Amino acid sequence: MIARRFHPARSTVVLLTAVVIFAPLGLIFWQSFLNAPFFAPAKHGSFDAYRFIFADPDFWNAAWNSVVIAGGMVAIALPMGAALAFLLTRTDLPAQRWIEVLVLVPVFVSPMVLAFGYVVAMGPVGFYSLWAKAIVGTVPWNIYSLTSIAVIAGLTHVPHVYLYSSAALKSLGSDVEEAARVAGANPLRVALDVSLPMTFPALAYAAVLVFFLGFELFGLPLVLGDPEGHLVLATYLYKLTNKLGTPSYHLMAAVAVSIVAITFPLVLFQRWLLKSASKYISVKGKATRQKLLPLGGWKWVALAMVAAWLAFTIVVPISGVALRAFVEQWGEGINLMEVLTLANFRQVLDQSDEVRAIVNTLLIGVVGGGLAVACYTAIGLAGHRQTGGVSRFLDYIVLVPRAIPGLLAGLAFLWIFLFVPYLSELRNTIFSVWLAYTVVWLAYGMRLISSALLQIGPELEESARTAGAPPGRVLRDVTIPLIRFGLLASWLLVFMIFEREYSTGVYLLGQGTEVIGSMLVSLWGAGAIDQVAALSVINIALVAVGLAVALRFGVRLHE
Amino acid sequence: MNKLVVENLHLQYGDNPILKGVSMTLRPGEVVALLGASGSGKTTLLRSIAGLEQPSQGRVAIGDTVLYDSTAGIDMPVEKRNFGLVFQSYALWPHRCVFDNVAYGLKLRSTAAADLESRVTQALQNLGLGALAKRFPHQLSGGQQQRVAIARALVYNPPVVLMDEPLSNLDAKLREEARAWLRELIVRLGLSAVVVTHDQTEAMAMADRILLLNTGRIEQEGSPEEMYNRPQSQFTAEFMGSNNHLPGTVREVTDGRALIEGEGWQAWGATRGALKAGDAATGVIRLERTGIADGPGANRVATELVTDMFLGDRRENLFKLGALRLRCYGTTPEGATQYWLEFPPDDFWVFPRAA
Repeated sequence: MIARRFHPARSTVVLLTAVVIFAPLGLIFWQSFLNAPFFAPAKHGSFDAYRFIFADPDFWNAAWNSVVIAGGMVAIALPMGAALAFLLTRTDLPAQRWIEVLVLVPVFVSPMVLAFGYVVAMGPVGFYSLWAKAIVGTVPWNIYSLTSIAVIAGLTHVPHVYLYSSAALKSLGSDVEEAARVAGANPLRVALDVSLPMTFPALAYAAVLVFFLGFELFGLPLVLGDPEGHLVLATYLYKLTNKLGTPSYHLMAAVAVSIVAITFPLVLFQRWLLKSASKYISVKGKATRQKLLPLGGWKWVALAMVAAWLAFTIVVPISGVALRAFVEQWGEGINLMEVLTLANFRQVLDQSDEVRAIVNTLLIGVVGGGLAVACYTAIGLAGHRQTGGVSRFLDYIVLVPRAIPGLLAGLAFLWIFLFVPYLSELRNTIFSVWLAYTVVWLAYGMRLISSALLQIGPELEESARTAGAPPGRVLRDVTIPLIRFGLLASWLLVFMIFEREYSTGVYLLGQGTEVIGSMLVSLWGAGAIDQVAALSVINIALVAVGLAVALRFGVRLHE
Repeated sequence: MNKLVVENLHLQYGDNPILKGVSMTLRPGEVVALLGASGSGKTTLLRSIAGLEQPSQGRVAIGDTVLYDSTAGIDMPVEKRNFGLVFQSYALWPHRCVFDNVAYGLKLRSTAAADLESRVTQALQNLGLGALAKRFPHQLSGGQQQRVAIARALVYNPPVVLMDEPLSNLDAKLREEARAWLRELIVRLGLSAVVVTHDQTEAMAMADRILLLNTGRIEQEGSPEEMYNRPQSQFTAEFMGSNNHLPGTVREVTDGRALIEGEGWQAWGATRGALKAGDAATGVIRLERTGIADGPGANRVATELVTDMFLGDRRENLFKLGALRLRCYGTTPEGATQYWLEFPPDDFWVFPRAA
């Protein structure tokens, strides 16, 4: 057998990808086994860091809270997401087209903004709380409890389950359901005996995904868990510095490694589920037009429930943020009409760092998003139509960043930029944030690119080869022109994701690297509620523009 | 053009051998059909010649130009081999109009603009596509797409055109017309072509020579007449036409003829393969060579009529001989209760049967 050579451009891309993925991860791993910062002259390998955090009751407390919240999220999001998917794909629920768009909003709004929205809307002196108090005499809820955090996190993750189960339901041929109907099953039996079991792999996948996202949770518990002191693993890591008074790199690294030790197996488990799911649907039914199940009078009940969910997850927090941005102050006995103002926005525009944050956020979304898509495309093309070890290696390593929560990735890149010669000059530029964002969202971006590449039949490229085009020419003349629209759509989606991202920038925040997301975390910590509200509104507006463009051009909002 | 020669080509996917040593030649101006069932390796062979698959052993050459040679370590990249390839799915580039689809190969060969224009126009006219140059693939019918795919493969005058099931995407009716049209085109332009097909009628209609593949090996090769009339194995006999089968035992072998006997019948046939008295064998005869006789005689068997079917251009009858079912064409004498089927000894092939 004559080995066909691996093109040097390909090898370069694969090598670079491996470096940007493994360098930060390796650094964290190494640091966690040192007794002092890795740049300190006097250090040696030890398990001190692990010994310390494993002896800290707060760590175990945070870990337990993470498990409770993640479990609660699955328990809430899974049945609701599956039911929502069934209602929207299989029944004559009214206003489906509107709901389909609204369902995805929580995915694209920053959790930091949502959490802040719940505080100002439903906190002890929130808008809705005070209105409720005016009616029933007391605030009937406490959003700072662990249960509330789990409920809010669960409800805001319903879309993730919805996306996977609706995709599975849509790809399920109607013939298998019709066969059950003909055999004598009523619609409910069909749903329970055929549709549900056949979408089970997708549901299992979504459950693992939500559980895994529960461990990554940062913004919600940071904002909502603070008043009563509920820590989760990510916020424990974030507060570790305050707790000890000095930055303790080895302890942070040890916590980071502990988190990855939980998330990485979950990512591998997900991949395994995905593989077995595709085996499960081996014979695909003909995708004929579904006959929708008539709900009769129940459709108004169903609609009311969906509307209630949308009101709680979208309307309440976002209206809270919006209202709060336009008032001077808020509390008991204040008349809304008397405190309306634009002062908060003026205040933001007066702060040079906050203006920079807005500009940087736009830049990182538009330019950075485009560059990120270019990088993802290069990686996608490097593995395109390749079999063998190198492309399998690429397949696996792009999954690795999924297991690293944004906060950790930001920390790792901070260290890289601080101590790698030549790179440190880029530390105070937005490039550092962009690189971290691009790596954190690598797996997401690669899914977008590979679903675009999957659309191209191999013979379209083979026919160009036989016509006399060398491989590079085939990419330029056939492959890339054919995925052009997929790339533009990916750019738009990556734009929205980058506008929304907040945790990755937290540790990288500094003069010149401000983005709205990390500024929100920092301003929240400083108690600058007015500016948090105004910046949140600006952030929502940026995402909304992206969403409007996406809808206008019919971009599918999920891969 | 020079002769295309494939020698002892082997190819496997993992541990699964697809080609087990295939050799073939294609002379200038000749059309060879690669015929076989799915999984026989015919498409893999075509793609190996084009360079789209990677063989593990063997040699492919056109004249003195070696395209692939495992011992010499030569594996010429696909784009350097200069073949024209017509894909089963046509593989027209959806982002280019008909003209640009066809012109691409010339563009890659740095053809001057004026020359390119005239050659593409000529190619489109040759295929009756003159008016469609500015259309995009999705605006064309299946038949038109097929012609564009062929024009695209021919425009840069490749020494050999490779076609992978070029007709299989057309409707049954259209396919027959396209078959005749394609044969005419091949003859008119004097093309050398390798055509992959699973349809024996298509292979016989289009090719000068047929290579029948069976699980990665060549079962038999020859002209359409040889393949149809003189099959060397039962596999070839079965693949090339529709047959009656009569399992039995050889009673006598003399001079290229064998007497085969089954339950309630016996007949002389032409031996195919090594046979001796006492061997298990199968008598095979094409439906259209099976005659209906009006009385007993040599090489005739008595049967009962089960049913008859009117097929438009002819009538097909189903007969019963014990547990066997025999079919033949033609009208049966009315009112008779007993029929005799006649097997002309030259057309009645006796193949050895594994016991």
